[in-house]
Amino acid sequence: MSLNLFWLQCGGCGGDTWSLFNASSPNVVDFLEAQDINVLWHPSLSVQSHEEHRETIRRVTEGRERLDVLCVEGSVIRGPGGTGMYDDFDGSPKKDLVYALAAQAKHIVAVGTCASFGGIGADGEIEATGLQFHKHEPGGFLGEDFVSGGGRPVINIPGCPCHCDVIIGTLSAIAQGTPPELGDYNMPLEWFGVMVHQGCTRNEYHEYRVEEKRMGEKGCLFFYLGCHGPLVHGVCNKLLWNGRSSKTRVGVPCFGCTRPDFPQLYPFFETRNIEGIPLELPEGMDRAHYMAYKGMAAAAAPARLKKRKTRI
Amino acid sequence: MSARKKVVVPLNRVEGDLKVHLEYDGNKIYDAFSAGTMYRGFENIMKERGPLDGLVITPRICGICTTSHLYAAAKALDMISQAVVPDNATRVRNITLIAEQLQNDVRHHTMQFMVDATNPVYENAPFYEEAIERYTPIRGSSIVSAIQSTKRVLEIVSILGGQWPHSSFMVPGGVVSVPGANDIMQCKYVLRRFKSWYEKQILGCTCEEWNQVQSARDLEDWLESSPSRYSSDLGFYLRFGREAGLDRLGKGTENFISYGFLDMPRKTGVKSLGSTGYYFPAGFVSSGMVRQVNQHEIKEDISHSWFTNDETELHPYEGVTIPYATGSEGRRYSWAKAPRYDGHPAETGPLAQMMALQHPLFTDMVNQSAPSVFSRQLARIVRPALTISVMDQWLDEIAETDEPFFTPYNDIKNGQGHGMVEAPRGSLGHWVIIEDGRIKRYQVISPTTWNASPRDANGQLGPWERALAGTAIKNPNAPIEVDHIVRSFDPCLVCTVHCADLRWEV
Repeated sequence: MSLNLFWLQCGGCGGDTWSLFNASSPNVVDFLEAQDINVLWHPSLSVQSHEEHRETIRRVTEGRERLDVLCVEGSVIRGPGGTGMYDDFDGSPKKDLVYALAAQAKHIVAVGTCASFGGIGADGEIEATGLQFHKHEPGGFLGEDFVSGGGRPVINIPGCPCHCDVIIGTLSAIAQGTPPELGDYNMPLEWFGVMVHQGCTRNEYHEYRVEEKRMGEKGCLFFYLGCHGPLVHGVCNKLLWNGRSSKTRVGVPCFGCTRPDFPQLYPFFETRNIEGIPLELPEGMDRAHYMAYKGMAAAAAPARLKKRKTRI
Repeated sequence: MSARKKVVVPLNRVEGDLKVHLEYDGNKIYDAFSAGTMYRGFENIMKERGPLDGLVITPRICGICTTSHLYAAAKALDMISQAVVPDNATRVRNITLIAEQLQNDVRHHTMQFMVDATNPVYENAPFYEEAIERYTPIRGSSIVSAIQSTKRVLEIVSILGGQWPHSSFMVPGGVVSVPGANDIMQCKYVLRRFKSWYEKQILGCTCEEWNQVQSARDLEDWLESSPSRYSSDLGFYLRFGREAGLDRLGKGTENFISYGFLDMPRKTGVKSLGSTGYYFPAGFVSSGMVRQVNQHEIKEDISHSWFTNDETELHPYEGVTIPYATGSEGRRYSWAKAPRYDGHPAETGPLAQMMALQHPLFTDMVNQSAPSVFSRQLARIVRPALTISVMDQWLDEIAETDEPFFTPYNDIKNGQGHGMVEAPRGSLGHWVIIEDGRIKRYQVISPTTWNASPRDANGQLGPWERALAGTAIKNPNAPIEVDHIVRSFDPCLVCTVHCADLRWEV
């Protein structure tokens, strides 16, 4: 029996959709075929007329058509003043459609940081929120106690955008009848049990505290340039992007885009610090030990690193 | 006089949500009002943020032209910090911008525009069976092929910039990455593979052969000159376009704007196609005359938009974005502002680029039969034939030089600057004011804001409103002409930063 999937775009940029199209193994076409997924709706794939689209929605919301998986991309927009009319569908707020579809779905996946936590606009006039979290706070649009038809909370796969392999992996697990095990913020451990820092080719520079104050160099970006690699969970340096590289590998600081508070309200490209030591330390680290360790590491740094001779 | 009827036509397969309100007079569109249906408030999100935050936040305006926003944001900061951008950084920026454009042009054509050829209204047309085979969503042969090739060409952005979509590798003073010789070689391999795919699948001939097509007459001859051309995606487009009468649809305002595509490095073997500092020249084209673009002439009018401000027409340095959701009222009907150049609405995108360039083929087509869906979409799908080779040349130049990719810039405390680039859909500008090390004002005018603009204080319609008004519709119950016209502009409603919708049908 094929799996019915409905992909709803809300307050987003379409980036998660285009990330999905980056997938190579399998690519999006092979994936849909391999898992026998019937796409009830995807705004970039569907060819239904508006009337057919409306009818599909009616069939689903009235329980006449099975909804196995609901993917939501983009935040739920509630502004202005809670009306939701900054994002409407057929004259009604789209948030109402989110609610009606969520009520029927067996599994719900929040694809990307906006759908998971609110993301872009969570602090602004559009009153954006995530499906079941508002930034770090449980609740969001559907409420803390919400469970989908399959008895589970919304599966959050954040990232701006979410990595294509995480989208395909999550949906594949659901299709196989073995939904992924969830950790903090209801994120699958499989992909969010790893730090962005792990696998960064600048790791050795980080180990010996060879830290860059300016861009365009080979060293670590954590101390001064605002890199969140050791602070946040994500697969960027494990699975790589477009099968090739990652931000931190080429010298772009990790902006922590999988984190519930992305985009942070303090400036990017700089590290907040206390006496030269970053305010936020790698998860689970205490300041005294960290300072001692970093002091020794810097003293022990090999010349090839200090001279930036080591290629990355 | 037949009864006037008001209908609403929502469109999918555009980036974001779009509705077009039409007034019919019998079988003719008497009037058109274009409205997106989402407001995301980016300009207000930017306020009070750190000076470099535009590099991180604005790419998130759009998931398909993310690199273009990054480029615009970086150029605005270059100006504010008076940074000197080394040639190699300009090359990397351009190469990634072209890679993004290649994927966009192919994806838009195959996955968005051509899917309309499979619409049941055409079931008796001679091309219908072929359209179904090629463009059925998810399964069509051209679509599957395009999905494969477009994701591969984006590897270039990842090699040079870390990831696509949404990286922030361009910074004031250049780019952060220092690609090695093998990185450049890998980019060349990726590009080579894309080029051979594009020539085989899309063109049915080499880019060089296509670029010999210089007139409408040449185009006729080109199609019939070989089986591979006849049966390529381009060949099919020409056959379909003729059959569907695309050359008689969607004239628009006949004004065009292009900010200039691809900043020329100071030293390069690439020859500019025009005379300005760009590969594709900048220009505002009206009544067939090309004028230099001066950003002072750009104003945004909000007389019909849902924003509140005392002045109705402001330069983006003065622009403010205060949403004012009054519901149904007589005049305001869109959250898109109305950008005007020297008071004129203007179309932007690949056709505008070709007009600013005075490309012989497109100038000839437009002179013969006015701008149309046919020439607008053709410009998009053949544009890669003009950009692939310069991309390759710039890759070679990077490999041959040992120049830096970044020069340190001055601290950004106060100042104003703008970044103007050509995104896949046309002219994109960011206007930024920074005070005391924080963003005070950030105004974005995206290509779709030009194209989807509502009326202005003088009652002038926006480009695609104008393209729709007066169109004869074969079947009012299935106005496929509307789809063709609007989609030929490659609408990106997520970019049209101020967007929502007014329900006004009676």
